[in-house]
Order: sequence, then structure tokens, then C-alpha cells
Amino acid sequence: MRSAGIDVAVPQGWDGEIYRREDELSVQSAGAVSHPVVHLGTFPLPPGRGDFGSGAVEIMSSDDLLVVLFEYGRESAGSALFARKGIPRVAASDFGPNNMQRPIAGQSGAQYFFNQAGRAFCLYVVLGAHARRNELVPEVNQVLAGLTIDPQ
Amino acid sequence: MIVNAVLVIEGVAIILLAILVVGLLRSNADVLRALHELGATEPGGTGSGRRHQHAAPEREGSAPDVAGSTLTGSAVHVGVTGAQHPTLLAFLSTGCSACVGLWDGLKTGVGRIGSDDTRIVVVTKGPEAESDSKLRELAPDGVSLVQSTEAWFDYEVPVSPYFVLVDGPSGSVLGEGSAGSWGQVSSLMTQALADAGTVKRDRLDNGEFRADAELRRAGILPGDPSLYQEERPE
Repeated sequence: MRSAGIDVAVPQGWDGEIYRREDELSVQSAGAVSHPVVHLGTFPLPPGRGDFGSGAVEIMSSDDLLVVLFEYGRESAGSALFARKGIPRVAASDFGPNNMQRPIAGQSGAQYFFNQAGRAFCLYVVLGAHARRNELVPEVNQVLAGLTIDPQ
Repeated sequence: MIVNAVLVIEGVAIILLAILVVGLLRSNADVLRALHELGATEPGGTGSGRRHQHAAPEREGSAPDVAGSTLTGSAVHVGVTGAQHPTLLAFLSTGCSACVGLWDGLKTGVGRIGSDDTRIVVVTKGPEAESDSKLRELAPDGVSLVQSTEAWFDYEVPVSPYFVLVDGPSGSVLGEGSAGSWGQVSSLMTQALADAGTVKRDRLDNGEFRADAELRRAGILPGDPSLYQEERPE
């Protein structure tokens, strides 16, 4: 799956989508800017879900994973928040129920800000069951290993 | 002189007959080849062609995932093999008159197809082959829709509308065929699931027929005389 300079090797059986989200600040101006958002899930991704997975995380089972890659404006790439360089790899210890955008019983999340190819991203991962983080995290890293980001 | 003329005429006639026979044989071979490709069964044969109704095709490997684009231009990938649920791929088109009722049905709800957790995914050909405005008009909210000409090739879709039901965990095609209404789709897939279940019930995990295994456990092996007892005289 490839779009907007992002290439993802989607594992068999997973759902994935790369769509563009219009920058809220630029929508009102003449030159609206849009940024790509990537969603990957081990379950059927429902239409109409939110950028950070609202509408999707609610239907996840304990076996499921959701990976979100959210791009910010290119000007953010040099800021302190996005100082980390390269696509991260996740660790089971990074996950916690309080890292969710909206806490859901049993689930946990992790969030990473980084820059790659002069572009600024947030990687957000949700595990269907925090108790199973040691089994699920290697699957996330396998997907991240198949992710490439071009300068565009 | 006359004898020579007769011999020449006979020779020409034999050559013409030979050409005619060769032509007929070739024509017959072409007809048989065409019938074989259509899946027709030769008399006394087993018929190895691809079937277009109810039964799963003899496709190599597991059913491929569907990758393409959405109506908004997003890149999209739908997991089929390896998913925890069955997937019904509905190959529809904006240009086919038989699809109109099916598009309408998607908006009002199609009911139960296969099992309760069956996921319905509409697959149209890519943007180069479909009317974008018509598709926006027909596409239902809340149903996954993928534009993918590649998927039509992958699943060897012969006509539209066409439906393929895939078992997620195994990736096997449970049934496929064409239908003009969602009621027919439901019937088609229910029959396909029943057929698949029957086959499963008749065979054990090792592929052996259940009846053979039970006879073997009773000490009755192939060739056992008890299998060929003659009728008792009255």
C-alpha cells in the first residue's frame, strides 16, 4: 500500500488505509494543506473512524492491534517534540492504559513523535489487551519494519 | 488412357477426402478444447473445468487480500485471508443493470449472509473503468468499498454482479457465483456453506472418509469378503 510518499507492507489479513486529512488551520485559508494519516489494524477498520482511531478501538478484541501514523506540518520536523530521528520501534514497557487517547478497559496505548525524511510524525499504537503486550508488540515492530517514508 | 484418367480422378478424390477428414478432426478437437475450458463434462469424464456456481473454485493457495483505492482517493487494503471472520466480496459495477437492486439493497440492509459476523466488502473496478459520479451516488455509507481492477483479475471474476465468500482463518473460498438479488446471494452462500460442511463431515482431518475409518476400526478392510456377500437365496 503506497500513497503520499509512504509505503507500507500490509501483513496478510490486516486492514490498512492511507488517507489525507486537511490541516484545520489551513482549511480557512486559500491554500488548504492536507497531511496523510495511515491506519493499520488486525481487524476490519470501520468507515468514518477518527484520525486517532475513535470508532475503531471500541470494536477491537483482545487479539487486535491498531497502528496510526499521523503526519504534522513539515515545519514541525525541526521542533523539539519531533527531535527523535527515524521510525521508532516499540517496547512492551512503553504501553500503558493511560496513554490512550480515551481510556478503554483492558486496552493500552503508546505514542511516539519523530521525524523522518524531513517530515514530522506521531506514531500511535493501541493494543487490544494490555495483558498481552509481550505477544502483541513483536507484531507491531514487524509492521514498522515494513514502513518506509520518502521525502516527497 | 481412360484407365489413367480414372486413376487420377480417384487419387484426387482420396486426397480431398483425406483433407476433409483432417479438417473434421481438428474442428472436433477445437470444440472439445472449448468445452473443457467452459467446464463442461465430457461423457464418462470427470470434468476438470472451473465451475461458476456454488462450489469453491480450484484456485491455487489462499484467497488474496484486496488492495486498491477508496472513493476519496485513499489507498486501502482489506484483509481477507488471516482475518478472524468470513468476508463476502461483492463485485459490482456502476454500468451493469443487474447491479441496481443490489446497490439499493446495500443502503437498506442486506440481512444475514453466511454467518452473523460475515463482513461485506464491495469491490468495483478501478477509477479508470467506473463512473466516479455514479459510484458516489450508488455507494452506501458504512460499507467498505474498494476500487480495484486487480482484485477482479485475482478472483477471476467472469461477470458482474459476482460474489465470493472467503473463510478468514483458512483463506479458502467457501462459495462463489452470480446472483441478481441479496436473497439469491444469501441462498447461494448458505448452500455453499452447507456443501462445505457436508464435505467436512464426510471426511476426517487426515482426509480419510469417516465410513472407511469406522469399517477399519471394526476390522473390515478393503477387499473384505463381507463387503461382497451375495444375496441369500430365498
